[in-house]
Amino acid sequence: MNVNGNGIITEKLSSFHLSVLVFMTQFGVVIFALPQMLSKTFGTNGWVMLPAYGIMVILNLLLVGAVYRLGNGRSIFAILEQAIPRVLLMPLYLFLVAVWAMLGCLVAKQYVLIFQMIAFPTTNPMLFKLVMDMLLIWLMLKGLYNISKAATLFFWFSVWMILLVFFFYGEFKFSRLTPFILKGGEGGLRDYVGIFAAFLGYELSILTFQYTDAKTKFLRSTIYGSLLTTVFYTYICFVAFGFFSFQQLNKMLYPILDLMAFIRFPFIERLENLFYGFFLFTVLLTVVMYLWSAKEACQRIVPKIKEGVLAPAIVLTAYVMAFFPETLSEVQAWLQVFSELECIIAMGLPMLLLLVLGLTRKKASGT
Amino acid sequence: MTSAQEITPPMLARTLHEFEDCCDLVHRVMPGHGIDLLYFGNLISGDRLNRDLLSLIETSDQEQLDRFFRQSQFVRMTDSKELVLGILAGHAAFFYKGAAYTVDVAGDEGRSVTPSEVETTITGPHDAFTEQASVSLAMIRKRIKSPHLKVIRLSVGEVTKADVFVLYIKDIANMDYVNELKKRIADIEVDAVLDTNMLIQLIDDNAYALFPQMLTSERPDAIASKLVAGRVVGMMDGSPTAFSIPASFVEFFSSSDDYYMRWLIGSSTRILRFIALFITVIFTALYVSVTTYHYEMIPQNLILTLAESRSRVPFPPVYEALIMELTIELLREAGARLPSKIGQTIGIVGGIVIGQAAVQAGLTSNILIIAVASSTIASFVIPNYTMSASIRLIRFGLILLAGLWGNMGLAMGLAAVIIHLCGMTSFGSSYVTPLAPNQPAEWKDVFIRAPFSKLKYRPTQQRTKNRLRSQMKR
Amino acid sequence: MMKASAKLLPALVLAVVMTGCGDQRVLEKLGFSQTSSYDIADHDLTEFAVSIPRAEPQAQTKREVLSAVAPSGKEARIKLARQTNLLLVSGQLRNTLFSVAIARNGMEKLLDTLVRDPSVSPRLKISIVNGNAKKLLEKEYKQHPVTGKYIDGLLEKEAIGRTIPLTTLYSFTRDLYDDGIDPVAPVLKDEGDHIKIDGIGLFRDDRYMTKIPPSEGLVFAFLRGSFKQGEVSVHLTEEKNSAKSAIMFSSILSRRSVKVRRDASGTPSIHYHIKMKGAVLEYTGNASLAEDSEREQIERQVAKELTRRGEAIIKHMQQNRVDSLGMGIAVRNRMSYAAWKKLNWPEVYPEVKATCSFNVLINNIGKVE
Repeated sequence: MNVNGNGIITEKLSSFHLSVLVFMTQFGVVIFALPQMLSKTFGTNGWVMLPAYGIMVILNLLLVGAVYRLGNGRSIFAILEQAIPRVLLMPLYLFLVAVWAMLGCLVAKQYVLIFQMIAFPTTNPMLFKLVMDMLLIWLMLKGLYNISKAATLFFWFSVWMILLVFFFYGEFKFSRLTPFILKGGEGGLRDYVGIFAAFLGYELSILTFQYTDAKTKFLRSTIYGSLLTTVFYTYICFVAFGFFSFQQLNKMLYPILDLMAFIRFPFIERLENLFYGFFLFTVLLTVVMYLWSAKEACQRIVPKIKEGVLAPAIVLTAYVMAFFPETLSEVQAWLQVFSELECIIAMGLPMLLLLVLGLTRKKASGT
Repeated sequence: MTSAQEITPPMLARTLHEFEDCCDLVHRVMPGHGIDLLYFGNLISGDRLNRDLLSLIETSDQEQLDRFFRQSQFVRMTDSKELVLGILAGHAAFFYKGAAYTVDVAGDEGRSVTPSEVETTITGPHDAFTEQASVSLAMIRKRIKSPHLKVIRLSVGEVTKADVFVLYIKDIANMDYVNELKKRIADIEVDAVLDTNMLIQLIDDNAYALFPQMLTSERPDAIASKLVAGRVVGMMDGSPTAFSIPASFVEFFSSSDDYYMRWLIGSSTRILRFIALFITVIFTALYVSVTTYHYEMIPQNLILTLAESRSRVPFPPVYEALIMELTIELLREAGARLPSKIGQTIGIVGGIVIGQAAVQAGLTSNILIIAVASSTIASFVIPNYTMSASIRLIRFGLILLAGLWGNMGLAMGLAAVIIHLCGMTSFGSSYVTPLAPNQPAEWKDVFIRAPFSKLKYRPTQQRTKNRLRSQMKR
Repeated sequence: MMKASAKLLPALVLAVVMTGCGDQRVLEKLGFSQTSSYDIADHDLTEFAVSIPRAEPQAQTKREVLSAVAPSGKEARIKLARQTNLLLVSGQLRNTLFSVAIARNGMEKLLDTLVRDPSVSPRLKISIVNGNAKKLLEKEYKQHPVTGKYIDGLLEKEAIGRTIPLTTLYSFTRDLYDDGIDPVAPVLKDEGDHIKIDGIGLFRDDRYMTKIPPSEGLVFAFLRGSFKQGEVSVHLTEEKNSAKSAIMFSSILSRRSVKVRRDASGTPSIHYHIKMKGAVLEYTGNASLAEDSEREQIERQVAKELTRRGEAIIKHMQQNRVDSLGMGIAVRNRMSYAAWKKLNWPEVYPEVKATCSFNVLINNIGKVE
């Protein structure tokens, strides 16, 4: 009598859903600090570097697309396990689970801590995170198809906020952008990677292989999704660079928060904490995708444990881990480390898979 | 004949035994013709029985009688269970020459067709379904004059055995939905199903969900339009409400009126309803959140007025809001249970006396009254009563969350609602179509009501093979 | 589904129980300061005052002014908090006043508390008080029951008319940190039974240096950028009989263009050209405005007069080494990064040749000739 969830017909991700899923996973709280990171790292007109990052993301996605094509859309775990004994894969899986789960919970904690700074100075942030984690478990257990549906709804509920950027045209001045391209920045490699962390999330599309079919147009959709992120990031940062003066940007930790505080309607003003609240939607999606990925990998380590147990277990472990970094700067330091690891995964995992695919193919053609 | 003769006397006896202690059962014996007649006097139309059958039987001889019973209105019964069911359904049972026949002489008891009280429209037809499925079915048949309109009869309730009809238009409706609906109705194991609204809760996908997953209506025009759009419709004898599947969340926000008005007006009304949804869900919660946590969001010109009206209130904003919302819900419930004449008094007492007095006594701020009243009014703009009740319930949750964590709580509450919506299905199809799966082409019949020339296709949710409305492909 | 809600419910209850009321900011319990002021007190101390509107209908006064002396703004706030039954918050702060004396010592440190506090709006208006800021704030003006609101309205209205620039916390800090422009802020003065705009205060970095008289406010606006709306009155001397006359323009539409030239040695020179259109509302001279030739004559005269006034302002600013017009931005944007870094703009600025020219067009002379 009850078809709960999966219904009569099991559906595959549509092309639009995959794009939105990639976009929502990528887009996150980093945007609040991004203009400052750019101006510090790259100097004047740092926003022009964002399309370059976008291209790097696309290159990386091409690798993922190659895995998809060569593996005929098989799940990456199937590809790996076909060539490498499971025992050898365990450390890799553990590494993936650890990085993904930690990234997820750190992003959530960062979001919560910033909200605490704006409006709830003495409330225990872990309490917010507890409720957030409840939502996450709930969403996670609904499976990827429903996560993608939620992504689409959250997308429509938050995408209109981009229109508010029109509010800043009055104060926006091209002369403030300065004609200097990337001058006065003093960032090192770690800062470059730190900015790349803003784009992370696209690499998780590698786990969605078996939820797609030919109609999904996997590669095209993921690239569209990442392009949307690049366009949004670039546009918002461009406006921030023309709204604030360059040296001022260097001093502000969360320029976009100030940008939103500037908005005023006749009946309501200082919208930053309302909109920051709506940012929960994109953060939820980012986090749920990381946790879901961690769960998928974990399922491979302990296939016997049920999903309904595994998901809360992962979230709970991550929750406990989230107690360790207490302040915002600690969280940021941790995030830096884990996003560096994640960058390695983003590049390394598809390459490893391609290697495995190449070898198995050779073996198959050899015999 | 011989075999029949052997069966029949026990059949009559068994039937009589089955109806032991049923004083409303009439057992008439016509010794001159050798006929035994069984029926429920209150269920049948005595007029029909006398005029169409008895008067003819009395005047005919043996030979004529034999021919008479061969007419198609007499259904020959071989199974006594079926016979019993027939008698219960208002048929008259004839026992003649060892064979048993039933004739439908059911009486047309029941109220006549009246205008709908729950779903009124300003333009368009005013008739509504009645409790008699036969009348309701006739209203649909009159609107859809097509042999493709199929009606399947099922029955539910181990004790009550109510008739349930599944309606669909062949070649438009997807048979997967028809079969699934038939299967789910057949699988119901419960003693009694007394109304459609009860029935749909027994067959929906997510029993614990907040929102209705089947669209109910008592308007024949609305139901006819659902059928033509490729949906499958269910009706129940004894209930004036029909339901259609599959349903989507946004479907509950359209009304037949939208199609009867010119498209711009229809579109504006639809947009108005979505604004109403927004107001109902957010407004009071936002008031609580802003006055409890985010005072900086209030504009300079408003803050003093707000602070002044709040300064006399002894409770924190959450309690203030909850008390007022509760009062309004009490008024609404009281108004719904009382006869309409007394209902008006409730409105006056509630609206004027309590509202005015509460502000003057300093129990609530007048701005909250405005917030609560406007969000309640907005909730009634949603055409479907079940949906509007669900949404009003969400509001309480959001007010609590807003009182707890301000905008953060509000965002979490909304996220929870959205997650909940995304997990819901209606007969396996997504409840949030056409948002997810994303079908922007269908938004013109969801968020607005585009001119008819633009509404060429049936929604994808129905998975019909006849997508184009203007043609019928077999 | 059921499992999830069964888990959510106790969590919610738990959360309700566990959250204290620590972070609640219930409206009527707040003393939301709308105006604050900073004055210099002896021994490096700051006198800090806030004006809080009282919302209770029974209250005698409409507002409450509190003040305290402390080394820093937030420390003063802690002292202030002891004087009131309300929770002092700064999220509704609309105006903040600095006395000239304190502004001369530099504003950056004072602004730190405002910029750092996430509850303070970036739209907070900053103004300088010629005299004692606290006294101005405390004073009751008969026609205006709430002084803070009076100041706010005055600043907003004048900013629309362009006699003063609208200086907010955001725009002040933006110009403060920009290397090609110096911030400005309106100057207010107590004038017995009312407050008057006393000009535009000019800053070098975060230090108040000098001001432009209010009558020159619109000329300053002409030079600072393009705008719509505003009124200016120009005094003319007739060429024929040297009789004095005045002409008043309203509904002004002004476009500014900047030209930067660099001579052989690399020293930049700047020229501002302003095209102004406006309607004449008052003219006390003898010429007929309806006559094309005479009108054009007057237009030329007005342009000449405005050029004179504009160049006087520029000179004044160069003498005081304040780059309030953002000449630095104009110069910077026409240079390479290395050259700009080498230039040392604050040193070069007073020597730069800066000129302006006006082009006036009367587009409407009113109902009479």
